[in-house]
Amino acid sequence: MTTTLNRPSASAHSAPKRALIERLNIFTALALGVISAVVVWRLALQFLPQDSEEAIFFNREDKITLLSMIAWFIGFMVGIGALIGPFRWVMGKDLSHDENMFYAGKDLGVKRYFRYTTDHKVVGIQYLVVTVVIFFIGGVLAMLIRTNLGNPEGGWIHPQAYNAIVGTHGIVMIVATIIMVTGPFGNFIMPIMIGARDMAFPRLNALSLWLIVAAAAPILWGLAIGGISTGWTAYNPLASQAPLGQNGYIMFICIFAISTMVAGANITTTVIRMRAKGMTWNRTPIFIYGVVASVALALPAFPVFFLSQIMSAMDRAIGTSFYDAQHGGSGWLYENLFWLMGHPEVYVILIPAVAALMEMAPVFTRNPLFSFNLAVIGIAGISGLSALVWAHHMYMSGWAPLLNIPFMLTTELISIPTGMLFLVLIGTLWRGRLWVTMPMASVFALLWNFMIGGVTGIYLSDIPADAFLHGSMYVTAHFHYTLMGAGLTGAIAALVFWFPKMTGRIFDAKLSWISFWMVQIGFQIAFIGMFLVGLAGQPRRVEGYAETFNTGNMVTTGGAYLIMAGMLVLLYALIHSWMNGEKASMNPWHSKTLEWTVANPIPLENFDVLPTVTTDAYGYGKEIR
Amino acid sequence: MSLNETGAKQTTWWKKKDVKQTALIWVIVTPIIGYVATEVQVRSMGAPASEIMASTINLMRIFTWAAAPVAGLVFAMSATVLLSKSFYGDTPPPEAEIGYRNSPRANALWVAVSALLCLFALVVGMVAVQKDSASLTDATAMEIKVTGQQWVWSYDYTGGSGVRSDVLYLPVNKPVVFHVTSVDVKHSFWIVQMGIKIDANPGYITETAVTPNKIGVFDVRCAELCGLLHAYMQNKVHVVSQADYDAWIKAQSKLEAATA
Ligand SMILES: [Cu+2]
Ligand SMILES: [Cu+2]
Repeated sequence: MTTTLNRPSASAHSAPKRALIERLNIFTALALGVISAVVVWRLALQFLPQDSEEAIFFNREDKITLLSMIAWFIGFMVGIGALIGPFRWVMGKDLSHDENMFYAGKDLGVKRYFRYTTDHKVVGIQYLVVTVVIFFIGGVLAMLIRTNLGNPEGGWIHPQAYNAIVGTHGIVMIVATIIMVTGPFGNFIMPIMIGARDMAFPRLNALSLWLIVAAAAPILWGLAIGGISTGWTAYNPLASQAPLGQNGYIMFICIFAISTMVAGANITTTVIRMRAKGMTWNRTPIFIYGVVASVALALPAFPVFFLSQIMSAMDRAIGTSFYDAQHGGSGWLYENLFWLMGHPEVYVILIPAVAALMEMAPVFTRNPLFSFNLAVIGIAGISGLSALVWAHHMYMSGWAPLLNIPFMLTTELISIPTGMLFLVLIGTLWRGRLWVTMPMASVFALLWNFMIGGVTGIYLSDIPADAFLHGSMYVTAHFHYTLMGAGLTGAIAALVFWFPKMTGRIFDAKLSWISFWMVQIGFQIAFIGMFLVGLAGQPRRVEGYAETFNTGNMVTTGGAYLIMAGMLVLLYALIHSWMNGEKASMNPWHSKTLEWTVANPIPLENFDVLPTVTTDAYGYGKEIR
Repeated sequence: MSLNETGAKQTTWWKKKDVKQTALIWVIVTPIIGYVATEVQVRSMGAPASEIMASTINLMRIFTWAAAPVAGLVFAMSATVLLSKSFYGDTPPPEAEIGYRNSPRANALWVAVSALLCLFALVVGMVAVQKDSASLTDATAMEIKVTGQQWVWSYDYTGGSGVRSDVLYLPVNKPVVFHVTSVDVKHSFWIVQMGIKIDANPGYITETAVTPNKIGVFDVRCAELCGLLHAYMQNKVHVVSQADYDAWIKAQSKLEAATA
C-alpha cells in the first residue's frame, strides 16, 4: 500500500496501556460479532416459545435466525469501533485532535486498512477491495449458473441449490455494481477532485464501508440455510414461503440500505459544501455530477427498499400479512415498493460509470468535453425521470392496467436525456486525437454496449412487446448489456485510469488490453446468444429448458467462460500492478482535474494549501466560442 | 489571424473530409444494421400463432428499423474517429487544434430527432395497446379460467360443461378471454407463440385475451419465478378446429362424469 506516509515507530502504540479505540479492528469485530450471534442464538433457542397450532411453520426459526443476525450486526459494529464516537459524544468527552488523527490512520501503516479509519483514501481502497471480493463471489456464482445451463442433458445442480445460486448471484452483483464507482472512486478520488481535505463526515464514511462488510455475513450465512431462492427481486408471497436463507437477504438489504443512505448524505454534503474556492457548478467536473446524481437517487430509493424488507421480515417472523392476499395484504404492494427502489437503482449504477468515461474521454482525445451543459441536463433528466418509471416492471402484473400507458410514456421519455449523454461522448471523440489506451477503448465499448442495451430497453418499455418479452431471457440479456456492458466497462476503465493516483503505480497496460478484448468479445457472444434464446421463448431464472434452446445456451455459456478468463486476467493484472507495477508520476495522463495535482503518495490531508480554481478541467485545444 | 485567412481556410461543414466519410459509412451501415438486427430477432421469434403475436413481431421490425439510423450514426462517427490518426506511447498526443466545446445547432437537432423518435415509439405502442386490449371486451369470446399452482397450470372451461384439464384446447379463430389466478405464489401465464402474458396473482383475477389463428401445438410457460420447479411449469396448448374442439369437450365431460 503505497499511500503510506510514515512507517509507524515501533514504540508508538506498544505502550502497555492502550486505549480501547486503539485495540479495535476487523478481528475484534469478527470475534464480537460471532460471539454475540452465538449467544443470542442459544438464548433464543432456550426462551422463545414454541409455535402454536395455527402459526406458520417457519415462524420460530425465522425469529431465531433474524435475532442472531441482528446480534451479529450489532456485535460487529461495536467490535469495529463504530460506536466509540457517538458514545464519547453522549458522555460529553468528544474525541481529541490526537484521537481524530489516530482515527484518520495517521502513522498506522498497513494496519489502518483493517480498522475503522476515517481517511477517505483509506476508505476508498477498502471499498475497492470489498468491491473486487463481491464481484469475485458473484462471478463464481455466475459461472455455476452458466455451467449448469450449458449442459443440454440437464443440470447437475439440484433445483433448490440452483435457485439459491441465481438469487444470490443477482443481489450480490447488484450490490457490487452499486458500489463499484461511487465506493472506490467516489471516496478516494472525488474529495481530491473537488479540492477538499476529506469528506464532510469522515466517521460516516467509515461507517458506510463497514456496514457493507457487516452485511456480507448474513448473505453467506443464508447460503448455508437454504439460500435466497427467490431471485434478487424476492417477490412476495414466494419470499415468505422460502427457506430460512431468505432472512439473510432481508438483513443484508436492511444493512446495505443504511450504508447507502449514510454514504449518500455524506457524498452529497461534501460536494455541495466543500468544493475548492472558485469551483463553481460550471467548473465542477462531470464525474462529480455523476457521483452526486447516483447517491442522491439512492437517498429516496433505499429507504423504500429498507421498509419493504422490514415488512417482509414481519410477514415471515411474526405473522403479519402485508403481502398476503388471503389476509388483506397484496403482493402488488411489495412489487411497488421494490421497483420504487429498483428502477432508480439501475441509474444509480449506470450514471457514475458513464460520467467516469465522460471524464476520461477529454483526456484521451485531448479535446474539451463536448457540451458540458447538455451532459448535466442529461444526468439530471435521467435522474428525475427514473423516479417515475417503476411500474414498467409491472405491465404484466395486472396491477392498474390503466397506468401502463403513462408508465410507457415516462419510460420512453428517458431515451431523450440518455441520447444527450451519447451526443456528449461522441461529440468529445469527434476530431479528437486518439491516445490509444484501454480507458479510451472503453469509451467506444460503452457506446456499443449501451446502444444495444438502450434500444432493447425501448422494446421492453413497449407494452405489447413486453407482453412477449417480459420474464424471458431477453430481459436478462438487456440489463446485462446496460449494467455490465456499459456500467462495468466504465468502472474497469475508471480503475485503470485512477489506479496510478490510488496506488502510485501504473496499471499494466498490456494485461489491461488482453483482459479488455477477452471480456468484451466474450460479452457479445454470451449476451447476444441470450437475447436470441429469450426471443425464442426461454423464460429467465430457469434451471432447465426445452431442446430448442440448446445451441443458444451453449453459445452463451462459451461466451461466459471467455468473460471469466478475461476477468481473471484483470484480477491478476490488478494484484500484479499493485505489488510491483511501474511507479507512476504525479500526472501520468496529463489530465487537468485537481486529483492529479497532489503528490504520490498523497499526504494525509491531500493539500497543504487548498487550491483555487479559475477554469474548468476541459481546456484542451485552442478555444473557440 | 485576420478574417480573410480564416475565411479562406474554412470549408462548409458538410464538405469536410471527415463529415463526408462519416456520411458514407452511415449510409452503408444503417441498412446493414437494420436488416441484420431485424432478421436475427424476428427469425428467433418464430412463426406467430395469433394476430397479436404477428403485430408484436411487426413492432420489433418497426422499432429496429427506427433505431438503425441512430445506431448507424453513432457507429459511423466512432468509426471515423477510430480511422483517424491515433497516437501511442506514454506521452499524450498534442492537443486538438480547435477545441469544440459546444454546438447549439447539433444539440438542438439531436434532441429534436430523439424527441421525434420517442414520440413515434409512443404512438406506435399506444395504437398496438388499443388494438390488443379491444379483444378483452369481445362479447363473442369464450372464457377460460386459468389457475396457476406450484408447478402446474389448470384450465376450467366455464363456457363448456365444467370441464377441467391440465392441457389447453382452443378452437381456431375463436376469441378467448383468460381469467388468470393462482392458489399459492405468483406465476405468469405465457402463451409463447401467441404473444400474450399475464401474471397469476394469488387472491386476484387478471385478464388477457387472444384469438388463435393457426391450428397446431404451442407452448405455455411460466414466466415468473415461482419456486423449485419453475422451469418445468409448462405445458401445451392445442389449437384445433371447432369440430375437433367440440368433440374433445364432449369426451372430457363424459370422462369427468365417469370419474365423479
Ligand atoms: Cu426499470
Ligand atoms: Cu414459475
